[in-house]
Amino acid sequence: MISRAGAEVSVEGVSKSFGRVSSLREVSLDVAAGEAVAITGRSGSGKSTLLALIGGLEQPDTGRVKIDGRAVWTEPRPARARRELVGFVFQRHLLLGTLSARANVEVALIGAGLRHGERRRRALSLLEEVGLADRADHLPSELSGGESQRVAVARALANEPRLLLADEPTGALDSQTSERVLDLLFRLRDSLDMTLVVVSYDPSVGARADRTLTLIDGRIQAAPVALSCG
Amino acid sequence: MLAIITTNLLRRSARTMFTALGIAVGVATIVALLSFTQGLKNTAAGFVHLGGSELGVFQANVSEPTASVLPEAIVARLDARPEVARATPLLLIVEGVKSDASAIVFGADPAGFFTHNLVLTGGRPPSTAAREVLVGDRMAAQQHLLPGSQVVIEGRRYRVAGIYHSGVLFEDSGAVLALAQAQRLANRPAEVTDVVVQLAAGARASTAAKHIERALPGTQVITDPQQALRVGADSTLISKAILVIVVIALIVGAISVANTMAMSIVERQGEIGLLSTVGWSPVRVASLIFGEGVAVSVLGAAAGLLLGVIGGGLLVGALGVSSYVSPSITAWGLGRGLLVGVAIGVLGGIYPAWRVTRMTPLRALSST
Repeated sequence: MISRAGAEVSVEGVSKSFGRVSSLREVSLDVAAGEAVAITGRSGSGKSTLLALIGGLEQPDTGRVKIDGRAVWTEPRPARARRELVGFVFQRHLLLGTLSARANVEVALIGAGLRHGERRRRALSLLEEVGLADRADHLPSELSGGESQRVAVARALANEPRLLLADEPTGALDSQTSERVLDLLFRLRDSLDMTLVVVSYDPSVGARADRTLTLIDGRIQAAPVALSCG
Repeated sequence: MLAIITTNLLRRSARTMFTALGIAVGVATIVALLSFTQGLKNTAAGFVHLGGSELGVFQANVSEPTASVLPEAIVARLDARPEVARATPLLLIVEGVKSDASAIVFGADPAGFFTHNLVLTGGRPPSTAAREVLVGDRMAAQQHLLPGSQVVIEGRRYRVAGIYHSGVLFEDSGAVLALAQAQRLANRPAEVTDVVVQLAAGARASTAAKHIERALPGTQVITDPQQALRVGADSTLISKAILVIVVIALIVGAISVANTMAMSIVERQGEIGLLSTVGWSPVRVASLIFGEGVAVSVLGAAAGLLLGVIGGGLLVGALGVSSYVSPSITAWGLGRGLLVGVAIGVLGGIYPAWRVTRMTPLRALSST
């Protein structure tokens, strides 16, 4: 895989409401290139919304989000900008059930202008990277939860993103598998020199990150606070 | 993309099958009706060219060509016209054969070209003095008639003198009586249904038609099958009914596909959201949904074409008109069925695809 420098993230005065529910309030945040940031907070504190806004999955009501100076949502082709800059890993792996592990990774490469052979080659290389080369032709139903999440990580890396956003990547896994997936994420971040933003309740994520931010009621707190899960 | 469309349709095989089946029934109805109307046109062509004639003279403004009534004396006036080589009268008795209500009995002048053009395949010409009739080979085969058999027409028994073949479906599915006998049987002395005409050398049918209509007010000259269909109110009604059915099939099919695909979108919001996050543009995701709608419609249309071919024959049988209408499948008829099927997919896929383009990735992912 080609290693590219991580992206800088700039969030300035971002607010987002869904109906009458205010999810984020005047959030500002800077993430340096190659930095690993953990975002924690109670359920409903706006963590996932912040991650979605950073990744250009939704438009902020106010404020600006930029990745290396590019505002993904306002680009003429936001999907292309997302593909070029960002990789996503979610709590649920969201693999397409009828496609093999390899094909699930290839799905992310459709639209990148690659020929089928090149897509296939790159997908296999990524599966090897996450230790699943021997499971390339298996369907998601034939994979364990941890294996499925590793396929999801491979898919997130398919377009060589400079920013990897992970939303509760270990939320659906047992502690042992969670450790393995976190090992993988942070190892890849180091080897590929990506910027990594991880939303998680898991204290071990904070321990691995360069910095931990806490969201409470849609606002970033200056210093981490102790949270009770649930 | 095609592989994903295929797997998505296979993954929901029951839904795909039922949606395709709905479209297939619509397309089959259209193909069957089109083959039926094509059969009607062929019948009309035979009707216009009865006995090898080039045009037929009918009473003007009748609801159906068979309802035409003309005075027999008109034959002599037609015969005298310069553009006419020969004219011979016909009296059609519809639903006159007891054993086959769809068979037509032709009352024809034994000396006219209509009778002369019949090729006898068995027996002999009928005697005008006796109650004798010629039957077509198709009717003879269906009713197991041989020379010497008896056939009941309008309640009277006739002896089959001979069996003929003309090459025209409803002539061969019917019987021929001497005109005078037919007039007595139908209680229509000195009346005929129409006069069939063979033109003089060099005369053009369209020009001759105009001259004849001008010279004989109250008549209508039919020179082509389409004209015969237009003259018939029933045929016009059928053509309009088919158009209405095509439009209804299109609307119902499109709504069905749109509904199925819209439901599919609701169920697959997570998948749609995921595709957006990995960089699929809204247009590409919409193409996937749209492609699935079109694919299921093409599948349904293909099955519909097959069902339609079978249905055409069943329709003719159900209507009891197999004696004079033979369903005719044409490439254009099948093409129209296929076009309607594809149109259903295109129309039905537009709304769901549009909905996808309006969905933000986060909203789609939130449903998971």
